[in-house]
Amino acid sequence: MVTHWLKRGNNQRFAISCGSVLAMLGAWVFVTETGLANPLFLPGPKAIYLAFIDVLFDGYQGSTLIEHVGTSLYRILLAFLLACLVGIPLGISMGMSKTAHAIFNPFIEFYRPLPPLGLYTLLVMWLGIGESSKLALLFLAGLPGIIIATVQAVKDINPTFVLATKSLGASRMELIREVYLPGAGPTILTGMRISLGFVYTVLVAAEIVAATAGIGWMIWDAAKFLLSDIVIMGLIILGLTGIALDAVMRFIGYALMPWTRATRQFSKD
Amino acid sequence: MNKQLKAVITGLCLSLMSSVAIADKPETVTVGFLNLVNAQLVTKSLGLVQKEMPGVEIKYIKVGGGGDMLRAIAGKQVDFGGLGNPPAAIGVTRGLPIQGIMVLNMLDYVEALAVRTSAGIKNLRDLKGKTIAAPFGSTTHYLLLNALADEGIDPASMKIVDLRPNDIALAWSRGDIDAAWFWEPALGRVLKDDGHLFNTSGLMAARGYPTWDVGVVMNEFAEKYPDYVTKFLKAECAGIDFWLNNPAETAKIIAKELELSLDDATRMMKGTEMVPCDKQLTQQYMGTTEDNGGFVDTLVSTGNFLYEQKRLPAAASEKKMSDFIHPEYLESIIK
Repeated sequence: MVTHWLKRGNNQRFAISCGSVLAMLGAWVFVTETGLANPLFLPGPKAIYLAFIDVLFDGYQGSTLIEHVGTSLYRILLAFLLACLVGIPLGISMGMSKTAHAIFNPFIEFYRPLPPLGLYTLLVMWLGIGESSKLALLFLAGLPGIIIATVQAVKDINPTFVLATKSLGASRMELIREVYLPGAGPTILTGMRISLGFVYTVLVAAEIVAATAGIGWMIWDAAKFLLSDIVIMGLIILGLTGIALDAVMRFIGYALMPWTRATRQFSKD
Repeated sequence: MNKQLKAVITGLCLSLMSSVAIADKPETVTVGFLNLVNAQLVTKSLGLVQKEMPGVEIKYIKVGGGGDMLRAIAGKQVDFGGLGNPPAAIGVTRGLPIQGIMVLNMLDYVEALAVRTSAGIKNLRDLKGKTIAAPFGSTTHYLLLNALADEGIDPASMKIVDLRPNDIALAWSRGDIDAAWFWEPALGRVLKDDGHLFNTSGLMAARGYPTWDVGVVMNEFAEKYPDYVTKFLKAECAGIDFWLNNPAETAKIIAKELELSLDDATRMMKGTEMVPCDKQLTQQYMGTTEDNGGFVDTLVSTGNFLYEQKRLPAAASEKKMSDFIHPEYLESIIK
């Protein structure tokens, strides 16, 4: 199934993407090798590679690269999982019931646009400088996207399906399992993918306060010492883990929701 | 040639001529000052730089700490700035285009290691297994690690976390940390809340680890307007003299500038040592153009320390550090 999932992509588009990435790399090599860029601000790919090897084997400030990445991924995934566990049921109930929507919506709409650092000060005050405040910030960053997507997905379900299922005597739980979840699944998955992006955007902010490991902390710490090679290396690693996690989520969607596969074959762009 | 084009060209010529004509005078001078207690606040409050530079717009930018100042310098957002010895060693080793021109302040107990009284910490060994905070990359982080190294204590035997001064006060009030090396005004809040002084930056200076802040100017500015570097120093020296001669007035200024009580401002002033400009060229501080002073030694040992910490890619070079210190501007005033 994995190979089938990988093959379904368009080869031509993949080639174009590879080309644009290579062109970007070429431009990077050009400006750094010709001395157009100040190596203090933009080191060349070689310096980034050396920093990668150094941190991979010798570590950065007491933790190896694997430990930094592992610590951050643990925080991201745990917070994201919690956001899904809270967000999806909450979103379904808000989509199904106008009362539930009226109860929860004001809070979500209120905190959603708040800048994470402002929120973080309060979280540190309440939860301290340990793991829980970091997880809470990441959780809160991921939550609204999932809820909003889920609510929309549930609302978009054709009411005929709901009425038909009800007339056949389905209970509320059966209705959720047989109609709402399958119908809303694809949109919920899109919301989850966007939410994971939001979780990533606050990672550095979450690891600024009292962290001693984590890829976000490594980037923040290295920036203080003008170690731009480590900063850029950290950002690249962070970006790659994000792409990998997104691919995993799309694969899960592909495996769990086979009915979304057919439509793809007909879409052209 | 149409009229519009003519007007544009004339305008360009005029502006070019006028910019040549006033090239000996900068339009604006941007001073980045650190958020700490020293005579720069007096100079700023009394408008002394403005008095030395009539017709020049003076802009003051408050900068949170050394790391932010390095970024401001790298981004060419300031003409003058201030740096503690660790960020200065970082900036110089990484080749930032700056020159050290004066002693802003020597740090005494305005920066200190505070420990929680109820935690029963009698010596540094008692910190084992406890959580200690310091702003990483700052003067106090440097002193904390040196104090531990002097007593042969492994920093890995405790949890040292990176927090900014205000976050330290917050974490302290929650009981998350038992010790912290940081600075006023946040330090004062901790001392009132079950904390007491355990070690100070002044005591560490006596043990051979002086910490200080040095006033810097961007190379580009110094090359273009050397006279204005001298003017700037004259103003700062007048500020230092005011601090030394009028402590009561100075305390009022500090209290107003940092929104502190008069008592707090007075205490913090006493914890900071100001060096009168005619003493700054002695062996202890900047030295002279012929002879390096103690600042070069401190920068070299700080740079080497950061290199051992893997926070600098190369060991400190004595030549680079000595090239960074430019006593000639101060010499031209003192003579």
